[in-house]
Amino acid sequence: MFSPTNFRQVQQMQAPAQFSGGSWKQKKTIFVRKFKSNVREFLYFFSLWGKTLQKIGGNFGGGVQSYFIFLRFLVVLNFVSFLLIAGFVLIPSIVFRSVDIKPEITADVLCFLCADCLKYDPNPQGLVVFYEFFLDLLSGTGFMEYSYMFYGYYNNTVVVTSLVGSDFSYNIPLAYLLTAVFYFAFCLICIIARDVRSYSMIVFTGWDYGCLGSKATKLKQRNIYYRLQVDLEEERLKKHAASLTLCNKVTLYSLLCVKLAPCACFLGLFYTYLPSIVITTGNFLVPLLCDQIALLEKYPPSATVVVALLRAVVLRLVSLGILLYTLWNQIVCHGSTDTCPCHYNHSNYQCWETSVGQEMYKLTLFDLLVSIALLVLVEFPRRMVVDHWSCNLTQWVGRQEFVVPSNVLGLVYGQTVVWTGALFCPLLPLINTVKFVILFYCKKITLFYNCRPALRTFRSTTSAFFFLAVLLFGWILYFNVASLRIIDSASPNRIHPSFACGPFRSFLRMWKIVPDSLAILPKGTRDFLFFIGSQAFSVPLFAVSCVFMCYFIALASIYGKSVAMLRAQLKLVCVFFFLIITVK
Amino acid sequence: MGTTASQLAKDSLSEYQELTFLTKQEILLAHRRFTELLDRDERNHPNPRVPMEVILTLPELKSNPFKTRICQVFSTSEDKDGSLTFEDFLDLLSAFSDSATLEIKSHYAFRIFDFDDDGTLDCGDLEKLVNCLTGETEDTRLSSEEMRQLISNILDESDIDKDGTVNLSEFQHVISRSPDFVSSFKIVL
Repeated sequence: MFSPTNFRQVQQMQAPAQFSGGSWKQKKTIFVRKFKSNVREFLYFFSLWGKTLQKIGGNFGGGVQSYFIFLRFLVVLNFVSFLLIAGFVLIPSIVFRSVDIKPEITADVLCFLCADCLKYDPNPQGLVVFYEFFLDLLSGTGFMEYSYMFYGYYNNTVVVTSLVGSDFSYNIPLAYLLTAVFYFAFCLICIIARDVRSYSMIVFTGWDYGCLGSKATKLKQRNIYYRLQVDLEEERLKKHAASLTLCNKVTLYSLLCVKLAPCACFLGLFYTYLPSIVITTGNFLVPLLCDQIALLEKYPPSATVVVALLRAVVLRLVSLGILLYTLWNQIVCHGSTDTCPCHYNHSNYQCWETSVGQEMYKLTLFDLLVSIALLVLVEFPRRMVVDHWSCNLTQWVGRQEFVVPSNVLGLVYGQTVVWTGALFCPLLPLINTVKFVILFYCKKITLFYNCRPALRTFRSTTSAFFFLAVLLFGWILYFNVASLRIIDSASPNRIHPSFACGPFRSFLRMWKIVPDSLAILPKGTRDFLFFIGSQAFSVPLFAVSCVFMCYFIALASIYGKSVAMLRAQLKLVCVFFFLIITVK
Repeated sequence: MGTTASQLAKDSLSEYQELTFLTKQEILLAHRRFTELLDRDERNHPNPRVPMEVILTLPELKSNPFKTRICQVFSTSEDKDGSLTFEDFLDLLSAFSDSATLEIKSHYAFRIFDFDDDGTLDCGDLEKLVNCLTGETEDTRLSSEEMRQLISNILDESDIDKDGTVNLSEFQHVISRSPDFVSSFKIVL
């Protein structure tokens, strides 16, 4: 007989008795639960670098771990984007090219006189010397220019007839544009969608009872410790930011602008020469200067870090913005229409989109090369010097510390460059994926070999929330550049897509492909779509949404009030019962 | 009745299968591992009781920060010293098994976290819980300021009736929102 003591104890605590007989419903719940956990384990198998991240978190703290988690997120984002682009733009282009479908050469009605607008000659002359090949590889010219890498190679093929007997149609320009739009919308969704963490969940469900061995246990304990610390720091920071008085905020922002102005002027001069190399050097040097200036100011510690970070963010993105503005000025014509029949500077830029793409490609590549060069030429020697040569100077300099905020800014900057360039260089997300993977391993190596272990004092602003907010800021910068300036610019300074290359050569504006394609649709669908976009539909829709919103807000406030009332009642009932029991 | 000698009687086996969430193989394995923990002379005892220190030599429990609490919760000894009989051991494995329901697991998790055995999780229990989770070493201990902030956040989130403690229903409410709890609250021999 099974001992009755267990059941008695169980009844005392009013726990459900343990028996496996159970009903069919219980068996079904168990089966569903097991299936879900199996699926989750299977998906976890595919999560990249899980063990590495645990090791990093346990040894170097939550801040450093959050940098690597952010890097992994960007790798996945870029790879999925590349798959999107490959599926809808790259592969159809390859297929159509191999089937030898000729591009349409329809000259725009405004430019029927200018034959040199249609001239585009990117092919290299015969054999190239090896060093030229290498230079071409680094700057995207020569053999790389007229390839799937850049905008110029894609044709404006529109296949409408049946190829294999079935009703098949594919519009390359439309696919190119819509893929770009969806790619950016997808990135925005990924940035904004975030799972909410809660402290009680971490504490009550955080421990894995299957964890064996003292080493794994210690690692897990340290992971939990750092995770709690990061969340608590983030909360303190948010509270601090919310509690800053208006006066403090105004002072902070004005100081920020004052510091930035001379920096921007200084850099503006340089950007006419050697843009990519100088931007990277500037990004490296100016934050150091700002850090020194920050030491002289007397803010509370967390505010200092936030201000320094904001400054560095704005600086890096402003430098990118200045580059884009410079390019814009060079491409746009500054004279009347007579001197500039193609609406862009066709003498210097026969295919200006490819040139923009090349600049972004160069920036990405140089960023990676500089990171690797820093690793090899600065960080390893520094560690060797500090370890093998002990004198006062080396002890003062000390081993490297992995500074998370500036590394994260590097990632955000790289990603913003890719977003800006993805429209003109469709393979840039793939290159960026490879670049970030290489960067992951390089940073991991430098972390484990060259850096100090985690310090006691914990630095704030290492939270994922902050990284994603900064990334969103970069996204907004791209959005301004791409959508307002290029795809559908309404300003008189707009640039016509290149006549000689690319999928949009016959259009006045890139966006024009969408209304044109809609015109081909059958009348019923077209009328429906126009109706949805028209005012007759959107205004009533807006009004109805407002009504629903008011309803839900009212409902939420009513529920809130009833919850508060029920809580008060619960307290009263508990006190009442307590009194009765004590009286009895 | 307990085990006889070092072999499990067939009717006991089927009875245990009926009354716990364990399969036949798991029960036989548990019996083998439990017998290995006994001394030579204890093996002939009808219902041997293994002291806590010996139970804690099991590799599955050795490095678990909650090992003492787990033994104390499942122990049926009068002096609450954490010693386990074979049936207590089966109880333990059943609660931590794959097939146990969320209700059972959350009930036992609550009892494990209730360090002072008063039926609710108050600030002292929560503090001990957090210290177990983060490790007792000097450099992984939260400062008292952080601990206070953390405990007040936990109580804000989970204490519905605002009495300053987390009772069983509130605890189960938090647990039910977590998808990982059932798979992490598992000890398999």
